Amino acid sequence: MTTNAAPIEVAGVSKWFGSVVAVNDASFQVFPGVTGLLGPNGAGKTTLLNMMCGLTRPSRGRVRVLGEDVAGNIGLYRRIGVMLEHDSLYPFMTGRDFVRLAAKLQGADRPELIDRAIEAVNLKDAQDRATGTYSRGMRQRIRLAASIVHDPQVLILDEPLNGTDPRQRVEFADFVSQLAEQGKTVLISSHILEEVESLADRILLVVSGKLAAAGNYRSIREKLDERPFHVRIGASRQREMAAALVKLDAIESVVLDGDAIEVLTHNLAELQRMAPVLAKEIDSRLYRIEPLDESLESVFSYVVQR
Amino acid sequence: MIVPLFKLALRQAASPRRAVLLTLISLLPLGLAALIQTLGNPDGGDLIAGVLETLLIYVALPLVVMVLATSAFGNEVEDRTLSLLTTKPVPRWSIVLAKLAATIIVAAPVIAVVAAIVTLMDPDGSGKAAMAAVAGTLVGVVTYASAFMWAGLLTTRALGFALIYVLLWEVVITGFLQGARYLSVRSYAQGTMYGLDDTTFDDALAIDLSYALGGAAIVTAVFFLLSVRRLSRMDVP
Repeated sequence: MTTNAAPIEVAGVSKWFGSVVAVNDASFQVFPGVTGLLGPNGAGKTTLLNMMCGLTRPSRGRVRVLGEDVAGNIGLYRRIGVMLEHDSLYPFMTGRDFVRLAAKLQGADRPELIDRAIEAVNLKDAQDRATGTYSRGMRQRIRLAASIVHDPQVLILDEPLNGTDPRQRVEFADFVSQLAEQGKTVLISSHILEEVESLADRILLVVSGKLAAAGNYRSIREKLDERPFHVRIGASRQREMAAALVKLDAIESVVLDGDAIEVLTHNLAELQRMAPVLAKEIDSRLYRIEPLDESLESVFSYVVQR
Repeated sequence: MIVPLFKLALRQAASPRRAVLLTLISLLPLGLAALIQTLGNPDGGDLIAGVLETLLIYVALPLVVMVLATSAFGNEVEDRTLSLLTTKPVPRWSIVLAKLAATIIVAAPVIAVVAAIVTLMDPDGSGKAAMAAVAGTLVGVVTYASAFMWAGLLTTRALGFALIYVLLWEVVITGFLQGARYLSVRSYAQGTMYGLDDTTFDDALAIDLSYALGGAAIVTAVFFLLSVRRLSRMDVP
């Protein structure tokens, strides 16, 4: 792998199952740090991840991880950690035995590595219990421990926070941040928007098998500029302010809503620049300009509906 | 690398519930042999022909191996644990070999012991005949295991397909078409028995020992390679 190559490269990848197209001509790169793969259920996230893990071969296109083709490249798994969505375990094994099995198969069967992985997911006290007795959150964590026991350069996690409680989510966020600081590449899929927003530096948005957008959250939001921004403006002399605003080219509609003005605009920057100017012209006092739909949820909903 | 895979496969194959089921299936010929012996005085060869060569070889052997071999990968696919193995730097052949070995290790002793006991219960039975019966059933176990394991990787309905295959091919078709015996696992088992002890076992439909062992080896190898190929190329759920 050259020094500048992205650890994960997906180039023109499509995957179809019979007549169903699960992924349609997706191309993107994943760089070191934490990247979120976001999309609704059925969007093609898991199929994409499975292709990155070599579990599914693309119908068309190419997936490379650490500079090598994934399909049929068994040796590559020494440098990749994988945790898939379904919380499958061998219920007759203890947590420690499960991590030890992963370590053995990875050629990393050293007690200190196993201890480190189990401690990283805070399961030291429960490591000698059969995994069949674990809660869902514990199963997720022991699977995470098994996927990191060999200290992989690339970690691919499909819905890793399913079944975890808020405290565990915070711990998980700290954990992946540490991995990112170590220069690892972590790809996390989720359909829960807040999770990805809080965890990932970069987001890949997948909708209906297509990569809808890529970048940080705000850049994705800006790319979706054909969707109007909802903005709430608090100002004195509301009616005069609303009348002034509606004359701007950037404004699509203006609605008076109680003590505020709700504006729909295609050009947030223009609105932010002009609102104070207009307020001054009509002698209005501007209290606030507040975007109403800056959450991932709104971006997500918009793209899904498109 | 193969040792942890084998231990895992063995633990999965020898689950308590499955052990009970397999023991019951295996004990059926033994119970029938004991019943025949208790109710009357069987002539020499009655138990070997009626119980060993019919009930054990036709029914119990394929059923026991079928249950174990189809679930070797079938359960992993169903439980979605197969990806836990296939996302590790482990050669696919070693996963298949570990599963095959575990299936044989669990199935063979049960079947072989029952075959030996039934043979020794027969008035014509002898140590040599018992050894031949053990060898023949082992050939059957290994060959069936390889074939049924591939079926378990191919479809989630492997058990049903295996049952249909045994009934149609091993029982009906090879019974009518003599040439089909050269592609029959049951014939490989019986040919091995006859080849090792041609005084005790019936030679009417038996194929030569060399054909039996060669055929069994080829069929086992072909299905082993097909399983490796399938595991390497399939979309793992």
